[in-house]
This record gives sequence, C-alpha cells and structure tokens, in this order.
Amino acid sequence: MEFDWSPEDSQHRTEIKAFLDEVLPENWEEMSSHGPGSDVQAHYSREFCGKMAEQGWLTQHWPTEYGGKQATPWRHAVVGEEMWAIGEPRGSQYMNVNWIGPSIMEYGTEEQKAHHLPLISSGNVLWCQGFSEPEAGSDLASLRTRAEKIDDHYIINGSKIWTSYCQHANYCFLLVRTDPASKRHKGISVLLVPMDTPGIEVREIPSVVGDRYFHEVFFTDVKVPCSVLLGEENNGWNVVNTALQFERIGAARYARATVTLDKLAEVATQRGLMDDPIIVDRLGEARALCEAARVLVYKVIDLRAKGSPPTADTQVARVLSTECDNAIGRLALDIYGPESLEYASFADSNYRLAMTAGVAVGATEVQLNLIASRFLELPKE
Amino acid sequence: MDFELNEDQQAILEAVDRLLEQHAGPTRAIELFANNTYDSELQQALEESGFSNILNDMAMEEGKLAGLEAALVVEAVARAAGVCAIGSQIMLAPLLTGKELTDQALEGPVAICLRSQIEKPVPLRYGANAKTLLVLADSNSDDDLEVITLGDGDMESVKSNFGYPMGRLVNTSVSGTKLGADVASKVRNWWRLSLAIETVGTMEAALNHTVEYVKQRRQFGRAIGSFQAIQHRLSLCAIQVEGSRWLAREAAYHNAQDEAVANAAAFAIAAADKVFGESHQMSGAVGFTREFDLHVWSMRLHTLRQELGGLGGHRKAVVAARWG
Repeated sequence: MEFDWSPEDSQHRTEIKAFLDEVLPENWEEMSSHGPGSDVQAHYSREFCGKMAEQGWLTQHWPTEYGGKQATPWRHAVVGEEMWAIGEPRGSQYMNVNWIGPSIMEYGTEEQKAHHLPLISSGNVLWCQGFSEPEAGSDLASLRTRAEKIDDHYIINGSKIWTSYCQHANYCFLLVRTDPASKRHKGISVLLVPMDTPGIEVREIPSVVGDRYFHEVFFTDVKVPCSVLLGEENNGWNVVNTALQFERIGAARYARATVTLDKLAEVATQRGLMDDPIIVDRLGEARALCEAARVLVYKVIDLRAKGSPPTADTQVARVLSTECDNAIGRLALDIYGPESLEYASFADSNYRLAMTAGVAVGATEVQLNLIASRFLELPKE
Repeated sequence: MDFELNEDQQAILEAVDRLLEQHAGPTRAIELFANNTYDSELQQALEESGFSNILNDMAMEEGKLAGLEAALVVEAVARAAGVCAIGSQIMLAPLLTGKELTDQALEGPVAICLRSQIEKPVPLRYGANAKTLLVLADSNSDDDLEVITLGDGDMESVKSNFGYPMGRLVNTSVSGTKLGADVASKVRNWWRLSLAIETVGTMEAALNHTVEYVKQRRQFGRAIGSFQAIQHRLSLCAIQVEGSRWLAREAAYHNAQDEAVANAAAFAIAAADKVFGESHQMSGAVGFTREFDLHVWSMRLHTLRQELGGLGGHRKAVVAARWG
C-alpha cells in the first residue's frame, strides 16, 4: 500500500496543465458555464479534442493496435481530473473515449472498428447514449423500444428520454429490445445508430438543469442495416454492463468540486464570511467530502489498473461523489446569496451541474441497493 | 499508487491480529471496563512484539511507510477494542524521543489534553493510568507542548459510560518540560491522525456488529437486514467508514501533513456520529445492554468525538490548512 503518483504521471499532469493554459480560449470560463451540452461547448469540443488527438493524448489509454499508447488507468485519471477541474472541454466526447470506443473494440465487427474508432480518436465525432425510457429509468431492463429485424435491416420504433448531447450527436449508442417475447435483461441489443437516419426526431425537454440538457428522442420506423448491431443480438445487456462497469466514476466530479470549493473560499474571504463559524464549518465539511470522494475513486482506479473485476467500491465512490457535489452546490448558493439567482452565474452553473448527480448514471438508491447486497452481503428475501 | 497491502504490511497486520486475539476483544474490554482498568498486559505484549516502536525516528526518516504501518496497527487495536493507549503510544511518543525532556524516559501510558483542560480538568482517556501527560496549546496559532511526568495522586479515576477508562487531573499545579511550536505542531497533527485512525477501527467494528445482527434478527417473518429502509442506511454508514479509512491511511502514509490529517479527522469524526446513531437504532433495545457487545465500540465513538476541539475544531483546521 502506498499513495504516491508516479513521477511519469506527475509529469504528465504538468504537461496537461500547460496544454490547457495554451489552448483554451480566453472566454473559456464563460463558455463552460453553459454546460457540456450547450451549442457553444459541443462546437468547441471538436476543436479541442482535435488538438488533444494531435498531442496523442485523447485516446492514449487505448491499446496500441487502435492508435493508443496503452496508458494506464492512472494516466487516464490524470487527464480526467484536469479536464473536469477546468470544466471538461472535451464536452460529451469524454464518453466516446471512456467507454463507447472501448465497447466497439471489444464487441465491434472489423467494419465497425474501422469506421468508428478513427472518428473517435481524431476527436471529431459526437455521441449520445440512448438508454432511459419513460417507463425504464433506474429499472433500465424494462425498456420497450423495439427493433424488428426484417431481412437485412432493423426497423426501430419507440422513444428514449432524458437523453443528453443528442441535438449535436452524430451517433447514438442505442439500447433496444430485439426479442419481443423476452423479458427483463434478455432480448436486449445495442445498435450504433447514425442520428441523421430518417425517422429520428429530437425534442428538447425544458428543465431547470439548463438549456439543451434533456431531450426526448423519438424513433418512428427508423430503418438501419443489421451491420449497426454491436455484439451478438440479444446480448446487449452484457455489452452495456461491460461498457459501464467503471463508468459511474468516469467523470472526475470531485476534481471540479475541488476547484469550485477553492473559489468559494476565496469569495468567502473577500466578503468577510470567514468570521462566520457556520460558513467555516461548511467549508471544512465540504473539503473533507471532496477528499474522501477523491480517495475512494482512486481505490476503484487501482482495481481497474490491476485488472480486477468491478466491485461495489464503484458504488461507494459514486454515492460519496454525489454527496460532495451536492454539498458544494448548496454552499455556493449560500456564499453567493441572491447573486446566485441569475442564470449562468457561477453558483447557478455549479448548482445545476451538481443537482443531477444523484439521478444520473443510476439513482443513488440503486447504488445503495448494490452496496447492501455486494459489499455488506445483506439478505434479499 | 497501490491500495493493497504489501507483504510486509500484511505480515504486520497478521501478527498484530494474532496478538489481539489473545489479549483483546469485546469480552476482555467489558471485563476491564467494569473496574475502569487499564490493560497493562496488552500494552506489554504490544511493546514486547515491537509494535510500540514501529514509528521511530529512523523509520520516519527512511520513508513514508512507517506512518502507514503504525496506522494499520492502531486501526487493528481499535477494531479489537483494546483497552490500551495505543494511539499516543505509537504515534505521539516517538515524536518526543531524543528531545531534551526533564525526565529522559517518556513512560507510558501517555494521556493527552489541551491546556484549558488542565486549568479546568475534564475526564481524559486513560488518564487514571497515565504516567505521562502531554499538554498542547488550545490553538495552533500559539503552539507549544508541555510534557509532564505524572506522580501518584496527580490524577483521579473518573467513572464514565463512554468506553474507555478515564481519569482527571487533581493536581493542577503539575508542570514539566516545555517544547516549542515545531514539535507541538507535529504532535497536534499525529494526535489528529490517531483520532481519525482509532475512529475508523472503532466504527468498522460497530458497523460489522450491526450488520451481523440485522442478518440474524427476524421480525415480521424476515431478517430485518432484508428491509430496504435498513439496507440503505447501513450502506450509507459503510460509505462513511470507507471514506474515513482511506483518507486516514493516505494521511498516515504522507506522515501526517496539516491538511490531510484535518480532512481525515473531520470526515471520520462526522462519520462517527452517524455510525453511532444507526448502529444503535438498528440494534434496538438489546443494543443498549451491557451483555450486547455493541457498546464496547459505539460509546467510544463519542469519546473520540470530544478530543482536540471535536468536529468543529477539525473542520476549522481544514479551513486553516487549505485557505489560511
């Protein structure tokens, strides 16, 4: 047991910081306040990820045969921390490199790999994930969107909801039911669907989380070739589980929270709030939470680096990351006071990002169920 | 970075666990507690096995692992409810080795308190049995440390419900060797860390005891641990214990730096209150009885929560270390 970064990883962090200083536009802070799903950030992500790719850093954790450098999960974590700390200039493309590309490597046909992986590793393609449905949220296995196989095509009918990034996406990593007689986890497949296919309609769902954040995606007689099937038909549940096994901590939320908290302490000092024992107490509480979330995420990265199968440590880290986000989101509102009520103000932007943490990527209650059964081994009955 | 024990750490932990199987555990803690008695046998066994000396000057200079190994031992003793001042013995006393003390030897058990607690004496962990008392300034802005060798009659035994043998200073004119801010700040940090580590071991044992209980206890025709209302709350406790454990171990590895120990203590001490509440609530009425082992660990959590300024003090220390 030891808790040092390797000199190489520390050096890489320095390089990444210098790179960010050099390439991010002067108005990046303002741009990032609109959120990763915004038009401005989605557009910029193509430029930024292209530059990352030129450096050989965008997919450095991928195997060499797919253009990566086989960098360790620790090296990839350094990148994730620095990107999230500054507001994630990769936009939605962090999903591409974290799990969409690796899923295609593991389950894709040669044709799929040859088409999709170069697009992802060059940083010029946007994806969305078509998972949740009106009747399949935390209970994802009850999804109903249907893909009927007719000759060499699938005809897709149904709808997805709460989909982020889809208004700009080129492709959708879509979960569908291919066996209508099946129930629950069986009979589900993954399709890699081009978003410009006729019959796909995207509608924004206005929300308090921000503009262009949530959408409904409707599929009406959408005809795609069977070659878009990823992995075996009716084995999609396993594909997704493999893809997402570590993804609940894929976003280094604690890194963003740390930067936010430092800013809040600075503002509190400027405004004389450091004499308020309640503010001091909450700052201390939030800082300890950030650090606990960080070290628990590191524990999961360590498991991944060693090739261990995923454990409930992922859920443990995820729930604490959510607590950390929420604590800092609330604190930002209270330190900024009424100023935070303006849309896209510092506190408002952070709060909107934080408020979804307990629902996105599996509700906290689902994570707690898994901790109870896998970590504490409590009985089901 | 590596979260698994290496071979040396594994060997240390196995050896200390073997020793604790013989000399500690809830039954022994209850027996000793009945008479407010210190476990001299356990202390002797730990000393003879070399565990008390794990964090010596040489080891600290050689590398970072000594702090972590000391932490693993303290955590294990706390988990086994050892009635022995292991935190101060292993983590604080070595910091004073070689200092010019009035009395050259620093004799254990070692108790520790803040200056104001000398002026207005309060119950101290292991106070009645302590041979040495470390007195730290209340605030680190004017830090100093006094090392006092205690004589017969300087302390009195205090009856307490909070899990440790307690004693209070009666001779308030005691004095000893004063040491400067440098050593005082080190002692303050290692004290904070030892509180975090002891809290981790104690919380873990309380939680494990509760988890086993809810698996066995049946009501409404099923194990109460199968109810989601119970499961979610115990899962939240487990998250608190894990966060506390890894923050404290990481801080120990980095030899107790200001911010890291403050974060570790702030997190663990807040967690202690939650684990206490949930473990007792889920253990029901039997959880309050002396025949049920839970109190051996749970009541100690409140003692640990009182030291070094308590939760508010640790959080203030976080803010001071991070933002000045």
